[in-house]
Amino acid sequence: MRSVRLSPYLFIAPFLLVFAAFGVYPLIYALQLSFMRWRGAGAARWVGLDNYLYLLTSPEFWASLGNSAVMWLLIVPIQIVAGLGGAVLLANAKLKLRGLFRVAFIAPFVTPLVAMAQVWIVVFDQDYGLINYALNLVGLPDVGWLTSTVWSKPTLALLFLWKTTGFAIIILLAGLQAVPGAVYEAAALDGASRWRQFWSITVPLVRRSMAFLVVVQTLAVFQMFAEPYVVTEGGPYGSTTTAGLYLYEHITASDLGTGAANSFLLVLLVFGLSLVSVRLLRPKDEVS
Amino acid sequence: MTQTRPGPVQYAVLVLLAIAFLYPIWWAVSSSLKPAAEIIASPLSIGELTLDNYRAMFADVPIGTGFANTALVLVVKGAMTMFFCPLAGYAFAKYAFPGKNLLFGVVLLTLMLPTLVLIIPLLLEMSALGWVNTYQALILPGSVDAFSIFWMRQTIAAIPDELIDAGRVDGAGEFGIFARVVLPVIRPGLAALAVLTTMNIYNDFVWPVVAVNDTAHQTLQVVLSTLAQNVTGNRIGADFATVWGELLAAGSIALLPLLVIFVLLQRHFINGILAGSVKG
Repeated sequence: MRSVRLSPYLFIAPFLLVFAAFGVYPLIYALQLSFMRWRGAGAARWVGLDNYLYLLTSPEFWASLGNSAVMWLLIVPIQIVAGLGGAVLLANAKLKLRGLFRVAFIAPFVTPLVAMAQVWIVVFDQDYGLINYALNLVGLPDVGWLTSTVWSKPTLALLFLWKTTGFAIIILLAGLQAVPGAVYEAAALDGASRWRQFWSITVPLVRRSMAFLVVVQTLAVFQMFAEPYVVTEGGPYGSTTTAGLYLYEHITASDLGTGAANSFLLVLLVFGLSLVSVRLLRPKDEVS
Repeated sequence: MTQTRPGPVQYAVLVLLAIAFLYPIWWAVSSSLKPAAEIIASPLSIGELTLDNYRAMFADVPIGTGFANTALVLVVKGAMTMFFCPLAGYAFAKYAFPGKNLLFGVVLLTLMLPTLVLIIPLLLEMSALGWVNTYQALILPGSVDAFSIFWMRQTIAAIPDELIDAGRVDGAGEFGIFARVVLPVIRPGLAALAVLTTMNIYNDFVWPVVAVNDTAHQTLQVVLSTLAQNVTGNRIGADFATVWGELLAAGSIALLPLLVIFVLLQRHFINGILAGSVKG
């Protein structure tokens, strides 16, 4: 029986090894580093809370959070509404070609973000891009999609929405399909209108899936990095320097202590936001 | 809703949505096959088809190296995920042992840790180990990930205990039971895990772009991203169209393998995505 007692530990050992070496160790190191001033070379100096205070009083830090917050507003509400709409349409059992629609909707989710970010550069170019070409055809003027501070965020948000709304549809569709058809039939017999059915049956039943989506996408939006890194490099005028990209800029500036402090502030923020959204979207009858 | 037959409005909305999702991919691939000057001159029409952009791109961009590096990372890291994660999931699902709850708590905690927080200290760890610009830096961090373990635990927990006990009665060792009883039963779950792992490793960008800064070790996504910087750097260059042609050619080649896998294995893909949502 000794092998039985030992084997579960052996089976978990590879995970623990990788986690200790590339999870726990760097995490502790990062925490220590966040209290130090260190520029990647030379001696590190203990500076206490200076890095945190520096960030909390730095306009750039708050601007990066603000940029991410605007991105969140441009992405998450639209995605939930569009995702729910798409899922309701796909959930209809009498729908023809459902498999084909489903493939079309998730295809963007499978494409490499970097490749599509480059397509965005080309398509939304102010002088030679497809979108402005099409606008000119119908007599409208050029828009600086990636070069004006007004449009840069929506254009990047559109890339994020294009890439992940299919994912949202699939998650919400699964939530919808868990609802037995009999529930709707009973409601219809009771004379509930379709709009009424939607609000009092569908929405409560997909609340859990919605909460999951909001948490996952909040995490993703506040960590957004590749989109601005590839498409706009954070510009114009820092308008797309998201929280994720700002963090990366500490690396390129070799300001690693501040970078580590920034990571922890961001993690706290993301955890807080996730908790709030889970609480707000929790079904009313559930307590825990 | 009650299941009424969808009307023309519903179909119209779905078709429009499908076009919106597919058109950028179609535009990128079809434009990459046009003469470079046409991409700018007539972005909406397709006339003559040519492979010139691809020829120029292969000459200018180390995309072959990118593919080879991504393939290597995919095979080794993917194999580690596919072997060690079900193994750990099996231990959590089917054994009672001291410290189990604590260790599983660690898995759950890791699940919630944003990748971003580890980037800087991991980079420093790599440079302390002399691992910057190496394959082990690309492969080892995240190779036995918490999400896959959690998912495999859920999948394996659904196997009836009788099946495992029967294997034990037949005299199979503990690892033998895992290999000969558990793995065959969870094959659909493994397929979904394989597909999702492939997608994640293939598309991974943040860590590779930080951990590697020489051409020899760049993964496909990093090679692609430096191409984009050339474009934004060459804004006033005369051969703007040429750069775009190469960019679209590289992007199309990069997105096709996954798209093909996805269309062929879409059921596993969707199962994989849905398995991800159980952690909510």
